[in-house]
Amino acid sequence: MTNQSKTILRAEDLSFSYNDESPTLKNISFSLNAGESLGVLGPNGGGKTTLMKIVAGLLRLKSGNLFINDINILDYKKYPYELFSYVPQNSDLNTTLPVKVYEYMQFTTSLFPEKMKNRSIDEILEIVGIHHKRNSLISKLSGGEKQRVLLARALINKPILMLLDEPTKGLDSNGQDQLLNLIENIKRIDQTSVMIVDHNINQIIRNCQKILCLNGSLHWHDHRDLLTKNILEDVYHCEFEHLLIHENDLFHETSINSQSDHHFCGHDHSTSPGSHHFVRGKK
Amino acid sequence: MMFLQSIKDFTNYDFLVYALLGTFFLSLTCGLISPLIISRRSAFMGSAISHSTLLGLAIALSFFSIEKSFLVFSITLFITLCCTLFLSYSTYRQKLPTDSLIGIFYTSTMALGILVHSISSHNKSDLLSFLFGNILLLSKEDLYLSTLIMIITFPVIIIPIKKWLFLTYDEEGAITSGINAKLYHYLFFVLLCFLIVTSIKLAGTILVETLLLVPGFFALKFSKNVKQTFVFSICFSCFFAILGIVVANAYGLPSGATLAVLLFTALVLSLLIRKVFYLLKK
Repeated sequence: MTNQSKTILRAEDLSFSYNDESPTLKNISFSLNAGESLGVLGPNGGGKTTLMKIVAGLLRLKSGNLFINDINILDYKKYPYELFSYVPQNSDLNTTLPVKVYEYMQFTTSLFPEKMKNRSIDEILEIVGIHHKRNSLISKLSGGEKQRVLLARALINKPILMLLDEPTKGLDSNGQDQLLNLIENIKRIDQTSVMIVDHNINQIIRNCQKILCLNGSLHWHDHRDLLTKNILEDVYHCEFEHLLIHENDLFHETSINSQSDHHFCGHDHSTSPGSHHFVRGKK
Repeated sequence: MMFLQSIKDFTNYDFLVYALLGTFFLSLTCGLISPLIISRRSAFMGSAISHSTLLGLAIALSFFSIEKSFLVFSITLFITLCCTLFLSYSTYRQKLPTDSLIGIFYTSTMALGILVHSISSHNKSDLLSFLFGNILLLSKEDLYLSTLIMIITFPVIIIPIKKWLFLTYDEEGAITSGINAKLYHYLFFVLLCFLIVTSIKLAGTILVETLLLVPGFFALKFSKNVKQTFVFSICFSCFFAILGIVVANAYGLPSGATLAVLLFTALVLSLLIRKVFYLLKK
């Protein structure tokens, strides 16, 4: 088995509920091979963030099995945090402390000295394009710059899997494209796998080989080529009009900028099924 | 003239030397921990711990006289530690705001302390001294205790300072990087409990919070980076705590209240001066 096809993450019948409420996740199964990207799609409240937190080790699994490098998570003496990097949806950085970019990076490098033998903080900041801000206070950075700092922090431990929960949230379309391209570059340079949650369906389909569509107990997981409009409609409980997910040009870099000509409405899909439009611009 | 005489007194009387050294060590420790208390948003928790010392003190003073300072300290520490551990357990990564629970807890323990003190009438020790602080209560043992708490606190904070800062700045990031947040959560409040119980003779149950909050607040307002924050906080704390002791002795004032007023005045003046400079620059 080549390193590329080795399964690094496998979930079998994962279930989770908060405080004995109705389950947020029910019998979810998926897998991810080394070097691949897994895009997680689904409506708000569908359990995407909960799933990310379970994999990141922030929430304890209630039932089911989670295998990391084919070893059951329960068989690890200590949760293998060092194998992952997690960039949360709303990184709640405490701006009370005047922390500079370089200082923030040092907090993490102090935990992984052996991983930093052949690489410096400056090199990592260079990769994410934020080196010129190394002595700036994080509280003074823009949303996009903060996301880059968080990505830089996530690179320090050279993870086998980066868990990115809506990394483009709050960024304009240009910023979203730049950040997603950066993630692709990082994936290539560090040969890491990525599990990413995002609401931009076209971007996810374009960048991820595997897709997990998730809405509580309802889920679908397979290669992106097998994803159909009906599956998305079932998961989102709504209809998409003019959704062209398998047009060849969708996957080409030269295609029309999907960010600017595809729109997904902001309705709460989990509660009000209805007709929604993916509008595609003219070529 | 009175002020100069007060300074001379510190060379003539042993108890004043203990008070001065004890204050210096405690203010050093408070200065170090103060920015963390504020940035971890634990000011109210600190207040709850300091108020719950009253219960421990009331129970200790119902068994022993105030002169048996080590025994009084030990019992107070034990009871306050139990209260602190309960509060730490109840406030670790809770979804609901924890301030209401802390508020309920500290008013109840304080009320219980007053009840215990009023029932145990065989001991006439003045609990008021502990409420507002009295440097005359400081003994040689207190000096040893304040030295001990400083010796414990400095390495516990300084050696893993990056972990403390990471947890304070980005808790989820720190946890997913492998830091045991729960351990540090408990450790922080246990340290705070030790420090508060050791400081109550100097600043008093009610006013000890000033010593724990004002230096950090000052430092976070004026510093430009993390290192500066801790240096500013320690310097501010030491300078004004010692000045407070000298002033309290010179004019026969209660030490805790003098410290609190002095620290607050210094903070307000510094903020005003900064504002004036800012306006002039404009």
